[in-house]
Amino acid sequence: MESLGVLLLHPMNAYLEQELDRRFRLIRLWDSPPDARADFLRSNAAAIRAVVGNAGYNADSALIDALPALEIVASFSVGIDRVDLAKCRERGIRVTNTPDVLTDDVADLAVGLAIAALRKIPQADRYVRAGLWKAKGDYTLTTRFSGKRVAILGLGRIGLAVAKRAEAFDCSISYHSRSQKPFPNYRFFTNVVDLAANCDVLIVACSLNAETHHIVSREVIHALGPEGVLINIGRGAHVDEPELVSALFEKRLGAAGLDVFEHEPFPPEQLIGLDNVVLVPHVGSDTEETCKAMADLVLQNLEAHALNKPLLTPFSGKRVGIIGLGRIGLAIATRVEAFDCPVNYYQRTKKEYPNYTYYPSVVELAANSDVLVVACPLNEQTRHIVNREVIDALGPKGVLINIGRGPHVDEPELVSALVEGRLGGAGLDVFEDEPNVPEALFTLDNVVLVPHVGSGTHETRQAMADLVLGNLEAHVLKKPLLTPVV
Amino acid sequence: MASAITASTAPPSGAKHSVLLLRRANDYLAAALRARYHVLSFYDSGEPLPAFLAASAAAEPEPPRAALVVGGGAIRVDTAFLDAAPYLRCVVTTSAGLDHVDLAECACRGVLVAGAGEVFSTDVADHAVGLLIDVLRKVSAADRYVRRGLWPVQGQGDYPLGSKLGGKRVGIIGLGNIGSSIARRLKAFGCVIQYHSRRPKDTVSFKYFPDVTSLATESDVLIVACALNAQTQHIVNMEVLEALGEDGVVVNIARGGNIDEAALIRALKGGEIAGAGLDVFEKEPEVPTDFFSMDNVVLTAHEAVFTTESRSDLCDLMIGNLEAFFDGKPLLTHVLPK
Repeated sequence: MESLGVLLLHPMNAYLEQELDRRFRLIRLWDSPPDARADFLRSNAAAIRAVVGNAGYNADSALIDALPALEIVASFSVGIDRVDLAKCRERGIRVTNTPDVLTDDVADLAVGLAIAALRKIPQADRYVRAGLWKAKGDYTLTTRFSGKRVAILGLGRIGLAVAKRAEAFDCSISYHSRSQKPFPNYRFFTNVVDLAANCDVLIVACSLNAETHHIVSREVIHALGPEGVLINIGRGAHVDEPELVSALFEKRLGAAGLDVFEHEPFPPEQLIGLDNVVLVPHVGSDTEETCKAMADLVLQNLEAHALNKPLLTPFSGKRVGIIGLGRIGLAIATRVEAFDCPVNYYQRTKKEYPNYTYYPSVVELAANSDVLVVACPLNEQTRHIVNREVIDALGPKGVLINIGRGPHVDEPELVSALVEGRLGGAGLDVFEDEPNVPEALFTLDNVVLVPHVGSGTHETRQAMADLVLGNLEAHVLKKPLLTPVV
Repeated sequence: MASAITASTAPPSGAKHSVLLLRRANDYLAAALRARYHVLSFYDSGEPLPAFLAASAAAEPEPPRAALVVGGGAIRVDTAFLDAAPYLRCVVTTSAGLDHVDLAECACRGVLVAGAGEVFSTDVADHAVGLLIDVLRKVSAADRYVRRGLWPVQGQGDYPLGSKLGGKRVGIIGLGNIGSSIARRLKAFGCVIQYHSRRPKDTVSFKYFPDVTSLATESDVLIVACALNAQTQHIVNMEVLEALGEDGVVVNIARGGNIDEAALIRALKGGEIAGAGLDVFEKEPEVPTDFFSMDNVVLTAHEAVFTTESRSDLCDLMIGNLEAFFDGKPLLTHVLPK
């Protein structure tokens, strides 16, 4: 794998750098002086097939243009807002990130910052170190963290992990995200201002993209108010920073705990002197354990790419959720993996598939997938396993593929969801009452309908017929059946 | 409200019951007491304690049958105190710790004692978790780093890595209300909870250790959450710290006296343990300056209970206990000798 030239954009982790050097051909971007960068890239362009970036330095448009041989961007981060995804898609460049391994650390820090901000722990520590406890007496009263109303912007992996922790402190949980999630105990708000107006602590945990840029606006900060607390473990650009600074300075916002800033490593000067803010230097995933796990993911993704194996944590493809990971489900998984689709699944019992993400319910599977595929057997438990709740969780951008049995899906619900635009689209091979197909589907532009042809190839029908004949013969000749159903 | 006191114990109608106040602060709680009771304040009297107690026997309309005391201060409710105030039938204390009250002596004399119950558990537990995350993830140290303008100088990714909370074996010393509240919170972060207390608790599934050294040997974090008494004085000593080991972290939200402070300083200086989060010290408000140069300790000013919510809850509880006593009803947070 020494032929895989990897461009590392910035020093980010000693272990990662050392292993990249050992396993691949490592080129360090900072080996060239900043003003000679263009020449440096030009002279190395033919060799560079991979780029490793992080939250601060990643494969933007200019860099991608300068690297004609680039095949893969493996980011040492979960957020890839600084990767030009559109350009990668255009050029067929694969993208991987480091989800899951850092979820706990980032969620831990979010709660740690909330407690630190409300209970003013760093401020008290400063007070004690300055000898003021002895000179001036007790430190000020603060306010309790437990029981506060916690609002989370973005209920993905990190948001959910924050919620689970906050619940242990008897905090009530509310959230805003693109679509409602299957958590009836968490109150959903369709807009961020209302979310902020109805909470005590607002935690930013969504990904950064065009829609979420400055999602914490002046209006939101105003709604949070003089008793409110903002915790940002997302990206600096989630927040209108100048507005935040003046609100904190003028005490129109109670307090903040910030891990990220619009122009790292430069936090706004005015924050440095304030007593109602806790500032840390983008350390959300910075523990020994997690950085090693992230580095290993980067290395394993690069190795998989070099050896033509499925990527472990591809970001590029649509997320495919498979109901039932039996023979057919697994065959689907291995095919979509080749398209860099992350694979999620649900089935009665969780099995050990290191690259596939298990969800304990179909609703949660649907909420976390772009394409939902039905591939389980039909029985009492799986009848209408795709019901209204599942369809809603899949949502207006989601697609349902049914190659199981018609009765797996609540067909009237499916039809009305498609007609009303509550579900993005569907590809259906099976129906509840074949050969009758609901007429309402015929005029729709977002469905593909085929007449139960899943196994309809010459080769397969021949093989199936041979099996039927073989089983009958075995029965007549009192030999073991070929494919008994247990 | 209608009360159930018998005529012989009720003051003349319209008059307030007398209450001894042995608490320096003139605040929220003091004002609430004065609104309801005829308050005899020791710190306002300017007299020495024996004289004050003797003089209170002559209070009108009746001698104070209840006293409100604080913990951690100079005043101990012991034999001498009770001898000097034989009219007292009830002692109400504002602190969670009861090391300043001789419970056996009170029980002997039929003096009822009411403690602070669980009023502080929530805030103390929150503070303990906050301190632990701060030490492991270097929150206060990182905040100092940013404020000193070091981030641009030392660049991205250069701040020393912290240690992950999830999966850490957390040994809690004392699994009472506070210890249990801490356990419940840390479980949600993926910590493995284990404990030491005088006796194992069969209501919990956490692993029990019969002594603190064996707990420390198998823990990554030690959290001190027990009462201070003769048996728990310096319960965390050098032997325990060595058993905890060089990656270990100690959090103390109990009493300074629970830890051998000099040993702790030596252990930190020598790298025998990785860090500490301390809300309490042996000689408050004196904090050994040795700590001030350490980046791996977090120091707070015995404030784990100092929230507006606790202050308000405590006030309600103290008044509630006094009212229950004067009404002849069971105390809200009656404490019996163990």
